[in-house]
Amino acid sequence: MNIVVVLGHPSADSYCAAIFERIIRALEARPAHSVTAIRLADEKFVTAMSSAERVAYETGEPLICAETKRHAEFLQRAEALIFVYPTWWSGLPAQLKGWLERVFVLGVAFRFNDNNKIRPNLNNVRHIIGVSTYGSPWRYVKLINDNGRRTLTRAIRMSTGLRTRTMWRGIYALDTCTQQQREKFVTDTVQKIVKRLEKSAHKP
Amino acid sequence: MKTLVVYAHPVEGSFNSCVRDVVVEYLSQQNHEVRLRDLYAENFDPFLSANERALHHTPPSTRPELARDVEDLRWCEAIVFVYPTWWSGLPAMLKGWIDRTWMNEVAWVLPSGANTIRPQLINIRRLVAVTTHGSSKFVNAMQGEPGKRIISRSIRVMCNKFCRARWIALYSLDNSTPADREKHLATIGQRVVRALR
Repeated sequence: MNIVVVLGHPSADSYCAAIFERIIRALEARPAHSVTAIRLADEKFVTAMSSAERVAYETGEPLICAETKRHAEFLQRAEALIFVYPTWWSGLPAQLKGWLERVFVLGVAFRFNDNNKIRPNLNNVRHIIGVSTYGSPWRYVKLINDNGRRTLTRAIRMSTGLRTRTMWRGIYALDTCTQQQREKFVTDTVQKIVKRLEKSAHKP
Repeated sequence: MKTLVVYAHPVEGSFNSCVRDVVVEYLSQQNHEVRLRDLYAENFDPFLSANERALHHTPPSTRPELARDVEDLRWCEAIVFVYPTWWSGLPAMLKGWIDRTWMNEVAWVLPSGANTIRPQLINIRRLVAVTTHGSSKFVNAMQGEPGKRIISRSIRVMCNKFCRARWIALYSLDNSTPADREKHLATIGQRVVRALR
């Protein structure tokens, strides 16, 4: 299975990055998977869509730089997308949001049918998995609406196949979590992700 | 009312830039004191770097490059956001502005001994989002309106207790006729002024 894992945290020594590396290591150990790890901050991925890109967005050739072309290729091969990021202001960090805006474009994430209606184009994606760290407790996150999660499991999911499954792992009130809780979260998360992807890897 | 207009769209001449012009002009006519922040024109860097992330709990003086944003936030009584909704949320440019500038001791403060943060922007009494959606209202409702909730809930919590958030959106822009857009532009100024009342 082709798996694309994206890290949305800027620092390499963060807890988020630690979760990310553990997921990569566990998945790479399985011969059935081929894993693409994208560390947006390390790659110095440009956050905001430029004016030229916005103009090209409306045309048949929206990918105008090598960076976005390369990422779009990963995406078109991906069967599972895993997002690991910190939730800031209840949403995605700007760089990860920028990644969606610049790479999930016409011809990659969606297309127009004969009636000029938008149709999903990422039918190859069968799993969307999100792993996020929250500073706030679970109750507060629910009250505010967990906007990053909705963007990924609803808005992005609309661009994938009908049968795409989603999975969410969140660690809440991170600032007050003990070392044991953090460690347990990583172990459980890695285990659950591996199990989920293992099951569907056998299906054609 | 002291109003900060925060605008984020990469293309000058776009529908959103027309909305911005109408809003700014109308607000000035109605004797509102307006400051415009055009994030793309200013080349604002929306990326919160690892170094800056390490300064999360430090006072704003450690980030002198954001002094202007801090000053604007503390000055205003209302913020009007003008932006296109992309992938159900704020454009990365605008989200990055919030990530970077709504910082410790400006938007929130963590008193020593407390375990929850306290709002700090009690000068802000109105939040208005003026946005455009390519998709229909139905699709946005299905997605749970993440962009709307970031403004009406997540950041509003850091403003005044009585802060009111207003959502002024044009849905289905992709399928709209020039007449629809004309109508939106004709009424938008009035709607924003009413939201600030």
